[in-house]
Order: sequence, then C-alpha cells, then structure tokens
Amino acid sequence: MKGRMKWISLVVLLFSFSLLFGCNKQQETAQSGDKPGKIVIGAALPDFDDKWLSYLQDGMKEYAKTQKDVEVIYVDAMNDANKQLSQVENFIQQKVDAIVIIPVDTVSAPQMVEKANQANIPIVVVNRIFDGVDKATAYVGSESIKSGIMQMEEVAKMLGGKGNIAIMNGQMGHEAQIKRTEGNKQVIKKYPGMKVVLEGTAEWDRAKGMSLMENWLQSGKKIDAVVANNDEMAIGAIMALEAAGKLNDVIVAGIDATPDALEYVKQGKLKVTVFQNAKGQGQGGLEVAIKAAKGEKVEKFNWIPYELVTKDNVDEYIKKWQ
Amino acid sequence: MESQVSVTNKREKAGVSSTATSKDKLYRFFDRYGMLMILIGLVILMSILSPTFFTTGNLLNIVRQMSVVGIVAIGVTIVIITTGIDLSSGSVIALVSVVAASFAHPDTYPVIVPILIGLGLGLLTGVINGTIISKANIAPFIVTLGMMTAARGAALLFSDGRPIGNLSPSFLWIGQGDVLGIPVPILIFALVGVISYILLNKTKFGKYVYAIGGNEQAAVIAGVNVDKYKIFVYGYAGLLSGLAGVILTSRISSGQPTAGMMYELDAIAAAVIGGTSLAGGIGTIGGTIVGALIIGVMNNGLDLLNVSPYWQQILKGVIITVAVFIDSRKNRKS
Repeated sequence: MKGRMKWISLVVLLFSFSLLFGCNKQQETAQSGDKPGKIVIGAALPDFDDKWLSYLQDGMKEYAKTQKDVEVIYVDAMNDANKQLSQVENFIQQKVDAIVIIPVDTVSAPQMVEKANQANIPIVVVNRIFDGVDKATAYVGSESIKSGIMQMEEVAKMLGGKGNIAIMNGQMGHEAQIKRTEGNKQVIKKYPGMKVVLEGTAEWDRAKGMSLMENWLQSGKKIDAVVANNDEMAIGAIMALEAAGKLNDVIVAGIDATPDALEYVKQGKLKVTVFQNAKGQGQGGLEVAIKAAKGEKVEKFNWIPYELVTKDNVDEYIKKWQ
Repeated sequence: MESQVSVTNKREKAGVSSTATSKDKLYRFFDRYGMLMILIGLVILMSILSPTFFTTGNLLNIVRQMSVVGIVAIGVTIVIITTGIDLSSGSVIALVSVVAASFAHPDTYPVIVPILIGLGLGLLTGVINGTIISKANIAPFIVTLGMMTAARGAALLFSDGRPIGNLSPSFLWIGQGDVLGIPVPILIFALVGVISYILLNKTKFGKYVYAIGGNEQAAVIAGVNVDKYKIFVYGYAGLLSGLAGVILTSRISSGQPTAGMMYELDAIAAAVIGGTSLAGGIGTIGGTIVGALIIGVMNNGLDLLNVSPYWQQILKGVIITVAVFIDSRKNRKS
C-alpha cells in the first residue's frame, strides 16, 4: 500500500514537472521582417504586465516612431529566463540587425549575450546590470549609486547640512542595497555636521521597516532623518513615526517612486523619493541599438539620469501611473 | 507548562525509570524552565547594555512585533509535535493579506467580512495541506513546500504584484489599536496562546496529537483516526496563519503579496528554540511563546545597540544554535 502510494506520488510529481517545463518549450514565432534596407531590432522584454516596464516599452515605441525604416519586434518572456533564451535564439535565427534585452534575471543573461556575440549580432542590455555586462555591445540604464546620492543630497539640503541620519538598508548584499547606501554615505561624508547614528536592514519590506523604526525610536537616539533604500521600508518607518507622534520631527526619504509612495509624498509624509526614468531608458536602449545596427560606434555604458520627486512635482509622477 | 503526555513520552524515549532522585529533579527543572532562564538571561544582558531596553514601552513593542510570528509558531508547534512541518505559513499570510485587504476598503463590507474571509482562506489552505498529507500519504515537507510556492503565486496573481491599500479604520484597529494601553495584536496572541494551551492539554485532541507524534502506528492501532486529526492539525495551523495575515495586513495598512517572506522559518525557529522536537511527540505552547520572545528580544536588542546588519545575522544564528545546544544537553543528561 505504502509502496504504491510512493509510486503514485512520484508519477504525479514527474507529471507536474513535465507540465512546468513543457510550457517553456513553446516557441515564439515572431514574424521575420527581413525587408531589404530596413533595420530590424529584436526587443526581448521580461514582462509585458509590469507597469514600470510598460513605460520603458512606451519609450521605445515613441522613439521607434521618429525613426525611418526601423522595425521593432517585441517579445514577452513572462518572467521566464528559459523562455527568454529561446526568444533570443529566435532573433538570432531571424538574423535581426540588433537585439535589445532586459534580462529576466542576471544569472542567465551572460549566456544570451554570448550567443548574440557568436552570431555577430549587436546586443544592448537595458536596465538590469550584471557581472560580464561589458561583453555586450552596450549597457543602458541608471547607476544605482546616483539614486543614493540624489536622495541624500536632497535630505542634506532640507536639514541644512547637519543632523543625525538613520540608514535603512534593503536585503544586505543586493546590488541596489550596496550602491544606494554607498551613495548616501558619500554625501554624508561631505557634511561635517551630519553623521550616521543608526543603520539596520529591513529587507525591502514594509512590516520590517516599521519594526526597525519602532526599535530605533525605543533606543532614545535623536534621529533627524531616516534614509531608506526603497519606498516600502520608508513607508513602514513613516507608519511607526506616525504612531509615536514623531513624524513632524523626522524627515523620511525613499527610492523608487511607487504609486503608494507618491501618495505619501503628496500628503507630505514622505519628503523625498527618486524615480528611475523608464521612458528614458527605453528610448536610450533603442537609440544605441539602432546606432550599433548601422555599424556606428557606441559608448559601452550609457547612463540615464534619475529624477527627484518631492511634493512640488509629485502630481506629474502620479499621472504616469494612471 | 508541559503536558503529562509529553513528559511520559520523553521519559520513555530516554529510557528513564520513574523514581526521581534529587539530581533528577534538578534536571527536570532545567528541562521545563531552561529556555525561560535563557530568555531572562538575555533580557538582563540587554538591560545592562542598553538603558532604554527595559521600559514598558519597549517590552510591549517587542511582544507586539513578535505577535504575528508567535501566532504562526503556535500552529507550527502543533504540526511539528505530530512529526510534521508547515513551510507554507509565510505564503499563506501573503495570500490572506491581499485577499482580506481587497474586502477591507472603507464603506464596502462590515469589518467582520475581511476577517472571516482571511481566517477561512487560511483554514482552507491548511485543510488542503492536511488532506493531501494524510490521504495521499505524501511527506508534509513536500506538500507544504508546494503550498508555499502556490500560495505566493496566487497572492501575486490576485494582487497583480502590487500592494492593496486604502483600508477602513475599523480594520486597521486590529493591528494598530489598543485596549487599556495593551496593543490588540498582543491580546490576540495571548488569546491564541490560551486557547491552544487548552486544546493541547485539556482535550482529547491534544492527547491524540501527542500520541500521533510519539508513535503513529501505535496511535492507529489504539483506534485513533489519525487522518482526521492530521487534517485538524494542519487546518488549525492554516487558520492561525490566516489570523496572522489579517493582523499583519492591518498593522502595515496594506495587503502585500510579498508579505510574510521567511516567516515560516522564524516560526519554526521559535518552536524549536522553545523545546519542540523535530522528531515529534515533544513540544509545548509555553515553550514556543518563550522561543518567539527570545527571537523578539534579540531582534530588538540588536537594533537598539545599533549592531551592524551583517553582525546581526551572524549573532542571531549563533544565539539560536547555542540556545538549542544548551537546551538539548538537558535531554541527554536526564
């Protein structure tokens, strides 16, 4: 009896795995637009449903319209790295003139860059940076450290260049955590009147940000500003400060400009957040890819600047998400 | 704190005769209260290191922060006593969080609706776990791992990957309100503790739970409907995850598909620190609450002392291992 159940469960397991992997094999048959004289760009995007990425795609589409004789084929990997790999292989088979890719993950990305290089097709990586990205034709994105610098500089301005800073880190070891905090600290170093009095991690999470802030408030240390690696943790800090009746004494800053965070900016609770320019990255990525397809020389790293969001300009960003 | 049944089980396992010498008594005292003493030791240590640690405000703060994980840990403890495991709690919290939040907008449904939906959904996931585990006889680790993945996926699907905000004030009271100065999550945590203690120590259900964990075959032979009780046990754990999800959602004022990440491991750690044996048959509600408080005191104390996040992770790992090591020695000696 027990032995038979084991077999049945094994079969069920194998069946579900085969279902899982079977889906990956679906081949994308994007139509080939191989007309003479026309530049064809293959754009491999990770997820059409993601709101932020949809703005990036809009940026590409708008730029494509301004270009003569350029055709862009968009494919959706549905956040599946395996699927993205076969899509890139299809682009290579179709002999597109250049590939624009936003990798699903940074682990599988080098392999796709390698495949394009072997086929001698220029490949431009957008938004998500990884080790070995220099093997690609070019990278277009925003430099994480800049967002930390921008965020901290605005806070320093609000504090008049002096005060006690508490830094709330994301998951320790993530690229964004390391760089954003590094950016914060670079700015703090410039001001002798500012120092980091507390530093902890809340793992990008609102509930954990709230708990960390509650604990900090119990420590009795004077805090003038809480600088968080992302908006969710900043919102957690705001909620803890509000419950303790101390929100008016402390400046809270985040990064990402998520729709929730923009509401907090509008209410004046979140003083600063930083927006990663989605359209700018999309447009920049396509621009570089077209140049590369034409055989022109391109810069290896192309940085798209971040944008600072405060109460003064928040409405314009709220509109972006609607 | 320890139930009669578990003490007998443990002594049978250790092969100890029932004549108690004075040395034996001392070990039994450690056996029962060892972890409580470690908790008290930690509290004293933190109070010396940080002048703001031992204040009413901060102590309430610690218990409030641990309420969510503590409630989950109580359910997980009962599961582990039956030699099972539940890895799905954190994901169930996320699923309950987004679904309950979507019924908790102001001026839509009365506050009881999102609460009941949250509890019901938690119960449902638990009953599914329990039914597959007992009827299809698949290892709890695999079944609840599957639920962990599926529930997280369902939470993301339901919410489109985004937080759900704009919740009614009466719903927010569950996680943010207080009664006579005591935060509501703490009151719920205490209530769950008392109910679970009674369930485990004063009812037939509790007796059978320990019996199943002690020796499942013997329980079957003795006529216990093991399948039924396993479904109850996983159902109860699911229900408590649902409750934890409702509290967490209310506390952070939004339903989050990424909420509760890794909470299952904190809950299992609390149970194990509290003396629950992963081999089954041994474990108490009081022990688990002490275990949860040890984790809470560590988190809070290390934050107060502004220990670097890297060191915090190392210290937490060391303290958990050392605590369980000290605790396990008593079992060998007795």
